[in-house]
Amino acid sequence: MPGVPRFAWLLSKEFRELLASRAFWLLLLMIGPLAGHGFITAVDIYAEASGIHGGPAALSQGLSPLDGMLVPTFGAYDLAVTLLFPFVAIRLISAEKASGAWKLMLQSPASVAAMLAAKCIALLAGWLLAWTPGFAALVLWKLYGGSLYAPEVLNLLLGHLLRVVLSAGVAVAAAAIATGAASAAIATLGFIVGTWALDFIAAGRGGWLQKLASYTPASGLRIFEQGLLRGSTVAVTLTLGIAGFALAGIWLTEGRRLSTRLVRSAGLALLLALTLWGGSLLRGTWDVSENRRNSFPVADEAALRQIRQPLAVTVFLSPEDPRLMDLDRNILGKLSRILPAVNVTYAAHTRSGLFEAAGDHYGEVWYHLAGRQAMSRSTTEPIVLDTLYQLARVPPPVRAETGSVTAAGEFPAWRTAGHPLAVEPRGAAWLYYALWPLAVVAAGWMYFRIRS
Amino acid sequence: MPIETPPPLLSAKAISKRFGPNFALRNTAFSVRENEVLGLIGPNGSGKTTLFECLAGLLPTDSGEVAFRGRALAPAHRKQSLFYLPDGIRPWAAQPVYWILSFFEALYTKPSGHGVRPSITDLAAALKLEALMKSRVGSLSKGEAKRVLLALGLLTPHPLLLLDEPFDGLDFRQTRDVMALLRSVPLAGRTLFVSIHQLVDAARMCDRLVLLSRGQVVGEGTLPELRAQAGLAEGGLEEIFLALT
Repeated sequence: MPGVPRFAWLLSKEFRELLASRAFWLLLLMIGPLAGHGFITAVDIYAEASGIHGGPAALSQGLSPLDGMLVPTFGAYDLAVTLLFPFVAIRLISAEKASGAWKLMLQSPASVAAMLAAKCIALLAGWLLAWTPGFAALVLWKLYGGSLYAPEVLNLLLGHLLRVVLSAGVAVAAAAIATGAASAAIATLGFIVGTWALDFIAAGRGGWLQKLASYTPASGLRIFEQGLLRGSTVAVTLTLGIAGFALAGIWLTEGRRLSTRLVRSAGLALLLALTLWGGSLLRGTWDVSENRRNSFPVADEAALRQIRQPLAVTVFLSPEDPRLMDLDRNILGKLSRILPAVNVTYAAHTRSGLFEAAGDHYGEVWYHLAGRQAMSRSTTEPIVLDTLYQLARVPPPVRAETGSVTAAGEFPAWRTAGHPLAVEPRGAAWLYYALWPLAVVAAGWMYFRIRS
Repeated sequence: MPIETPPPLLSAKAISKRFGPNFALRNTAFSVRENEVLGLIGPNGSGKTTLFECLAGLLPTDSGEVAFRGRALAPAHRKQSLFYLPDGIRPWAAQPVYWILSFFEALYTKPSGHGVRPSITDLAAALKLEALMKSRVGSLSKGEAKRVLLALGLLTPHPLLLLDEPFDGLDFRQTRDVMALLRSVPLAGRTLFVSIHQLVDAARMCDRLVLLSRGQVVGEGTLPELRAQAGLAEGGLEEIFLALT
């Protein structure tokens, strides 16, 4: 067809190849029940917490659709992008390599970059199609009378989109380098397992290892699930995904010696390292959660902004101590968004904390600022903040007896209304366990029947 | 006033390629002239496919150079001047024949002045593909798939077309028809370089021949020229090849 741009034909080819992939149809088939199970379970638990059937209810301000429905429902996509999606991405490369089509494509006027871009677009479009059950969950939730806060929803979707870009980059690079699809699948899963191991090893260790682990796929997604939009996470994840495609470009261009490919790969790795380092320095982080769970009260933030010196924190809590998680999430994470520099040292000697020696200061958290230091065993927000105000000699904001900050119009996180919803997930089981699988099977059957 | 001889369409000089300690090509040198059908003859393992892949820039050479119309042609730029159609491939098996032909035609919508390309309809008729147009490539027989591949090659606009075993999988009648079609290609201004392991087909099809044995060119020329190189007064390609190797 004259007049249709070459890139449109490349896209058309990739969409056709995607639809011809049984792995893609399997992904579509399985994602409905997976997302549905997450949604139905989440709505049931949310309803119980909201006091359905007249039972005891949780405090309404603790009921957030982000934690209660969005994260568990879209959690299915994390599973799918880890265990199913890589096979779809690998096939788009491996099938052409194995069939000899890639040799024809390499001789075409289209550049390798254009061909990989077309594959990337097709993969993302396929993934958006797989999001249909997730979007259906949002519609059902609204139909049930549930609340959705657009910035939270969009931020979570962005996190999952970046997660799939990273997964696609890794899978495509593995498919380009490996001799066959099976080897590529093993390499991709090996990468995922490696990042899990890194997460585990780096937890509570501090330093560069924990910094590195904060960019693994699981950790990166967790940031978005907490209602945070962190510039460095976006930059690093996107860069890693694009680097995967760039690496694939190096290895898919035939006619180069192995040494040339290795040198170019090393150059890319160096460029990647520099870009990642630069990306990790981005300090922009935005709390997009409806209840500002990642932020101190505005008045406290204003007071903390008066502190200009770097804060050093030495934590004598082990990685498996729940107090460390409280401290990290409720205090240190928030402080690092406000203060110019927060350097944390994790000084516990053991992993569980159960076997620390008597003189090991276990449970203590030391704050060092401008040559002064103070110790607190608390992980409670107001107590730690008061410690910091004393240390920095900054007058604390006036608090009312109830703990609310007196700044005009401001409500701290725990005083937001919350969104209880005591409903059953009507129709969801039919949609996810029957209608969606039937629709996918019917569409797949028609596609393969028409094609043959 | 002396008449300047135009440079050959493509010339290869001292091309060597090793896989580990084994030479697949060793100082291979030959030339391809404008608008001819040049045959590459050699037994299995003689390096025919390796040579084609090196010429097409799909496989790096250890040494040697390729010139196109007298100018050095870097591997990255080969795809602008020549197209290599590999043997034994089955691209896009899930797609129908008409679609991959249309796709390939669309990839080359802006030929850079390289002759006139045949239309899909003409090629389908010439290669007897009309009845197969809606079939998936993966469902075709070996001979049918080969004819589809040939159609892909003939849809490209390059002045030089490298065909690896174009008759492999074709029956006698199909071989004869395809041979007639390929013989007409130079008339449209394109040059063919084909590897053929059937010596009888090669002798019937090609204007000139390059004989390859263990990665080395052992003879190049027309049949009478090769006969002279072999020191034979008469005899076919088989006798010539045996005499030269």
